[in-house]
Amino acid sequence: AKDMAPPPPPVKHPLEHSWTFWFDNPSVKNKQPQAAWGSSIRPVYTFSTVEDFWSVYNNINQPSKLAVGADFHCFKYKIEPKWEDPVCANGGKWTMTFPKGKSDTCWLHTLLAMIGEQFDYGDEICGAVVNVRLRQDKIALWTKNAANKAAQESIGRQWKEFLDYNDSIGFIFHEDAKKLDKAAKNQYTV
Amino acid sequence: NDHHGNGIMTIMYSRDFLLKFAEKCTELPKGFEIPSDMAGALMVSSFNTPHESY
Repeated sequence: AKDMAPPPPPVKHPLEHSWTFWFDNPSVKNKQPQAAWGSSIRPVYTFSTVEDFWSVYNNINQPSKLAVGADFHCFKYKIEPKWEDPVCANGGKWTMTFPKGKSDTCWLHTLLAMIGEQFDYGDEICGAVVNVRLRQDKIALWTKNAANKAAQESIGRQWKEFLDYNDSIGFIFHEDAKKLDKAAKNQYTV
Repeated sequence: NDHHGNGIMTIMYSRDFLLKFAEKCTELPKGFEIPSDMAGALMVSSFNTPHESY
């Protein structure tokens, strides 16, 4: 067996898109309260295979283990999880709320539905974020063209179905959120 | 499967299929790096601790 070639590296399963995990660290945010919004959000890792997704996911804390104030994002590669990103600018988001510490499974299932391209309007999706707060956790799904009602409603309905989520959820345009902050009203509800 | 309707095949995976890989991929990918101020808040500590070999 003198001319044996080394075994080929195991073939990984490619995803349709590359995705980037971003983390907004509450301890950094708190140290620099004067810092501009969004300046403490930093990319953690970009993956493009099923195997690399799990390799990172298995080593990072689930939402229930993150500190209050943390935001953890998973967005398509090259889309920044900010209103100002050109792809997100005309978009909006669906939001689900969970009792404190109860979002882990739904967060994982949201990620798997996104990276596995389970949404009929998958091209409309920018990414997802989980916000860990004092009294509750929130998961939001960001999409591109807020005005496309049919696409957004399809995404909202499928998201609830994938997660077995029974409460109604609302879709807020980023444009409204920018102008009105917490007074922004749901434009769509499913 | 052309479910996005753009005429191009989309790579789709069901949740059950993806979950089959969960237990096989426990080591961080080669080249994974994270700023130290983020590591403490984000990483699972048991995985983050270097293991001594005896």
